Amino acid sequence: MDATTVLAAINGNIATVGYGLAAIGPAIGVGIVVGKTIEGVARQPELAGQLQVLMYIGIAFTEALAFIGIATYFIFV
Amino acid sequence: MSTMAPRPAQPTSIPVFRRILVYGSVLAAGIAVVGAVVGGLAAGAEGVVSALIGTLLSVVFMGITAGSILVANRFAGTAAAIGAFFGIVMGGWLVKFVVFLVLMVLLKDQPWIQPVVLFLSIIAGVVGSLLVDVFVLMKSRMTYASDITLPTAAHDD
Repeated sequence: MDATTVLAAINGNIATVGYGLAAIGPAIGVGIVVGKTIEGVARQPELAGQLQVLMYIGIAFTEALAFIGIATYFIFV
Repeated sequence: MSTMAPRPAQPTSIPVFRRILVYGSVLAAGIAVVGAVVGGLAAGAEGVVSALIGTLLSVVFMGITAGSILVANRFAGTAAAIGAFFGIVMGGWLVKFVVFLVLMVLLKDQPWIQPVVLFLSIIAGVVGSLLVDVFVLMKSRMTYASDITLPTAAHDD
C-alpha cells in the first residue's frame, strides 16, 4: 500500500486536526507570557501589580486566538 | 477597609481587574442587544438565541482570566503566593478551555442554534472584550513601583 492510498483511506472530521493546529500558537504564546511574568516578579516583586496587568493583556490576546480557533468548528464543519 | 488589623500587601492591579470585569459586562450587554437584533433579522428566533449564547460564552470565558487573577490575588503576601497565583490563573485557563470545547461540541447539533450567528457573536464578544481590556489598561494609572513596603523605623533594628 503506497502513501497515496493510505492518505485516501483516512476518514473522519479534518476539523479536529484544525483545533490541534489552533492550540499550538496560544500554547506557545501563553507559555512565554507567563514564564516571563514569573521571571519579572522574581526579579522585582515590587512590580507585581503592573506585571499582572501586562500579563493579563498578553493572555487575553493569545486566548482570543484560541477561542476563535475553537469556534470555527461551527462554520467550517 | 476600616479595620486596623495588618493585612498582607495587596497588588495594586486589583482595581484594574475589577474595572475590566465591570466594563466587560456593560459591553456584553451592548453586544447581546445588537447581536440579538441582527440575529433575529437574519435568522429569526434561532438567530436571537444564538447571538445571546455566543455573546455570553465569549464574554464569560474572556472574563474568567481577570476573575481568576482577582481570586489568586487573595493569596498575595503569603508564602505560597507565586505558586498559588500561577496555579489558579493557569488552572482556570485550562479548565475554561476544556469547558468551552465541550460546550461547542454539545451546541453544535442543536436544532435551535444558528451556527453562523453564534460564530459571529462569539467573535464580536472576544474582540469587544479585548477592546475593553486595552481601553481600561490605557486609562489605568499605576505608579511604576507600586507593590513595595518601605522599611520603617520600627523595623530598623
